[in-house]
Amino acid sequence: MCFKTLPVEFDERGNATLRGGIPNPYDVTVAKPDVALTEDQRRERIERLVAANGHIKDLNMDPVTRIAGALAVHVTADTDKQAYLDAHAQATLFRGYEVILMGRDPRDAIFVSSRACGVCGGVHAHAAAYAIESAMGICPPPMGTVVRNMTEAAEMGYDNPLHLYLLAGPDYSEVILKASNPELWPKAESWRCPNADVHGYTTMADLAAALNPLTGQLYREGLEFTRLSREMVVLLTGKYPHPENVVPGGVSTTLTLQTLNEFHSRLGKIFDYAQRMLAVWDDIPAFFYEADERYQFVGYRPTNHIDPGYWDDPYAYDATYENCNAWGEKRWSTPGVVIGGELLTTRLTDINIGWEEFVEHSYYEESATTRYETDMLGNPISPYHPWNKRTLPKPGARDWKDKYTWACTPRWDRQVVEAGCYSRLLVTAMAQKMPESQFMSATGSSMRFVIPKGESGEREVEWHAPVRWNAFERNRGRAYHYLFSQLVALESLLEAYKLMKQGETRVAALNPKELERAIPMDERRSVGWWGAGRGWLTHHLVMDKGKITNYQICTPSTINASPRDPWGQPGPYEEAVMNTPIIEDVSDPARFTSIDMLRTIRSFDPCMPCTTHAYTGDGEVVRDVNTCSCGAD
Amino acid sequence: MADRQTRTPRQQDRTPAEELLEELGPVDRYHDYESLGDFGMPARAMTDDLLSGMTRPGRFGPLEKVHAFWFAGASCDGCSVAVTGGTTPSLESMLLGAHPGIPRIALHHPVLNVESGAHYLRAAEQAVLGELDAPYVVILEGSIMDEVAAWRAGGYWSAQGEEPWGPDGELRPVSATEWIARLAPKAAAMIAIGTCATWGGVPAAEGNPTGAMSLMDFLGKDYRSVLGVPVVNVPGCPPIGDNFNETVAAVLYFLQGFGPLPEFDELGRPAWLFGETVHRRCVRGAYYEEGVFAEEFGDPECLVEIGCWGPVVNCNITSRGMINHVGGCMNAGGACIGCTMPGFPDKFTPFYKRPPGSLASTTASRMVGSLIRPLRKFSNNNLNREVRWDRQGASPSAFSREKSEPSALADVGHRFYDKVRRANDTGRNDADVWGKRDEAPAGGSPNPRV
Repeated sequence: MCFKTLPVEFDERGNATLRGGIPNPYDVTVAKPDVALTEDQRRERIERLVAANGHIKDLNMDPVTRIAGALAVHVTADTDKQAYLDAHAQATLFRGYEVILMGRDPRDAIFVSSRACGVCGGVHAHAAAYAIESAMGICPPPMGTVVRNMTEAAEMGYDNPLHLYLLAGPDYSEVILKASNPELWPKAESWRCPNADVHGYTTMADLAAALNPLTGQLYREGLEFTRLSREMVVLLTGKYPHPENVVPGGVSTTLTLQTLNEFHSRLGKIFDYAQRMLAVWDDIPAFFYEADERYQFVGYRPTNHIDPGYWDDPYAYDATYENCNAWGEKRWSTPGVVIGGELLTTRLTDINIGWEEFVEHSYYEESATTRYETDMLGNPISPYHPWNKRTLPKPGARDWKDKYTWACTPRWDRQVVEAGCYSRLLVTAMAQKMPESQFMSATGSSMRFVIPKGESGEREVEWHAPVRWNAFERNRGRAYHYLFSQLVALESLLEAYKLMKQGETRVAALNPKELERAIPMDERRSVGWWGAGRGWLTHHLVMDKGKITNYQICTPSTINASPRDPWGQPGPYEEAVMNTPIIEDVSDPARFTSIDMLRTIRSFDPCMPCTTHAYTGDGEVVRDVNTCSCGAD
Repeated sequence: MADRQTRTPRQQDRTPAEELLEELGPVDRYHDYESLGDFGMPARAMTDDLLSGMTRPGRFGPLEKVHAFWFAGASCDGCSVAVTGGTTPSLESMLLGAHPGIPRIALHHPVLNVESGAHYLRAAEQAVLGELDAPYVVILEGSIMDEVAAWRAGGYWSAQGEEPWGPDGELRPVSATEWIARLAPKAAAMIAIGTCATWGGVPAAEGNPTGAMSLMDFLGKDYRSVLGVPVVNVPGCPPIGDNFNETVAAVLYFLQGFGPLPEFDELGRPAWLFGETVHRRCVRGAYYEEGVFAEEFGDPECLVEIGCWGPVVNCNITSRGMINHVGGCMNAGGACIGCTMPGFPDKFTPFYKRPPGSLASTTASRMVGSLIRPLRKFSNNNLNREVRWDRQGASPSAFSREKSEPSALADVGHRFYDKVRRANDTGRNDADVWGKRDEAPAGGSPNPRV
């Protein structure tokens, strides 16, 4: 019984039904989550404080840099009580990819939707392929799935260090520490790094200097390793971002022994680097927690995470919705929902039917429908479910009480969940369902990894699920996720060698002519469950008469950057900022840099290009969109 | 808006940029940085200041410093990602002045800079005001969206930063499009990177709701920078990082007086990078020549019949690779979808489908290939034999019988071929062969001439 807010219950065979006797069970006034503080109460409190206190600043940070894409964060900061009283996250970019996909051939979705994000370079192409092949009933051959796993694991090898060293890293560097937290610098100079023998930096000050933007050794090395991993990706995909080889039913990679050997030779360099990366991101939280225990609350949120899993079992994955719970639980990273630190489900159908997206505070017109009342298995779905929604873009004036962002508000069981690559570690660790591996194991509260030998020897490490999820734990989790993904790359490479030995080198189920003939003319619905460098990624697809009639992308940063929901619950960025104490010295309010908020926001690794989207119910709406959005014709 | 999108440039009395600026009106108020304090500037210095000590004056050229403003319109940030992957030269080496002749580049890039918020846009404000300390170039990634339409609805499609440009001096979001319109007149160069900014790309595809267009479309045919240069275009979705980095470097080398004038083609592309079709240097091109084509995804042969448009697409990825000369679409098995072209995506869809025009040429190459392939195989068999093995009449390899001994007929054929090959090399000119010992075994050629 995983649903608390939605009136959904399960029979003895695990099929979901709506609890009877509730009129309009999905109405936002009927199924309401427990909300600690309503929006009105929050606003009242702020107004009271503003009246009594002169140290409250209303500030808008636009743009927030060192993230991908366009994000602004509005804060109400009380420099006297050292607290952020209010926060609003604004996605400031809309492009309309899903609108462009309306009415197109389903084969176009891979290359078009890939362009939703160039930072998560290949994940959209893959999610689209999963959605298309599920709708069309095409099951990739094992080598096709293995090559996808290798590609996507290598992609994480680019994504995680890019964030840790180019985007987030400078916030912990010498230049920023000295300016924003000068009180910490003497301690940094004397604090001996516990992992100095692994990463080679004796003191925190040495480590911080290596994180300096552009000049620091770790910054430069991080950039180099993103290039190495990108080489691994393009060996298989030709291009990065926007891979050229993902096809419905597999990949089009010409796989030779040289391809695998070149992949191997590059992967071999990564494990030494992973050891150093873990050492760095274990030492940074240790230093900050010791320097001031309030750092435990920078970016703090309750343990509410969601992830649809990542990297398939090539023998279990069959591209069907009917069997998705079985093949989903065999993924290297287990799908699941964790609320309040408790693992509620690992079934993809539960994840899907609990999913809703709201637009109360977003620049879209409301358009929930009841076109579909259930999924393909008869489980009930909400009018706000992606398959039912036709959200229409409508640029308008910014109003904190009304609409203020291009992101929408995804919720699971109407609760605020967070997505992150680290959520994979958490769910996989708790579920203990991951495939057997000589390198990875889940213990229920931790993940154990064996780092294979490189120039340094083999080493065992363990990631423990943190008691308190905050900015530091997100970054630490991201470093461990780097290792996790690279071990998946290794396992997948070994599987590829094995398949090659067996002569099973076919990489796609259909050739282009068969693919064209396989496009169904009846109505089909599907979802591609996949992941990005920031966690969760889904593409929901409806097609009819051989054309796309509804396409919807939900990205991890849509979840994390979401604004308030209909019940006033702030989105994850907003909530995390409101929980963040202002630790920097603000005795002179003019010196307030808001570094604590910036560390919080960046710890989520915001990726805004693909955050904003629109989707429509049918081809008709494209014209509606033109009419409603510009008012100019 | 349909009307706004379909007018030809000739029908417009104003460029879209002029139209937008007229709609928005002039601006005269700017941020008061005093009152702003250090908000958003955790290093209490801009990236530009942090690096100022790192770059030393060079020996070459008149340029000491250039500002580069990087703006993202309807963008996926893939161009930024591609540029960080470039290595000839790399982004960091350019910023740190690691190459002789590279001036100091003050890059203002939202993904890289340390400062956030209004401070991040301070230099752009100064540029609008004409008070910047050095010339500047503007780089646009992503397409330009029709902000006039969004503005009339009270909002925006894509905003970066806020300026006190509201009617009463209040802060309002400023679209990337507006920044471009205000910065273009005084820019030393306007550079579009990626297919969205150069031609329109996916955001401008059929059915788009935002009226997206390219930088050239936005600024108009008559646009010239203060150096007299029209918009420079480095296309690709994403572009190869090195194509962009190298173009920037080539322009700087020219401005510093030692590089040749970089040539741009009729669409403003670097001519030395986009002058050839990608097929001409494709690693699979010879399969086309021999008339052998891939049928299944993953096959090693020419990809034209599984949807590759390479023979008619200007691109250099098969020779340059994607990153560090690794990868490249067709090198890895990906069919060309024309992502560098103005016609992308609508003139290439549906994807994974054979371009209809390839039928005539592949039929021709199949016919020619059916003749060429056996002849090549014949010669290849001969060349796979050491002359010693010919004389012995046996190959010493124990691996397989694949290179079996030639038949008597083939042997006669090879001997005849050798005669033809040596028709002008009879060895009868009486060269003074010195140092050759009489007792040396007559090895090597089966018909030793000396």
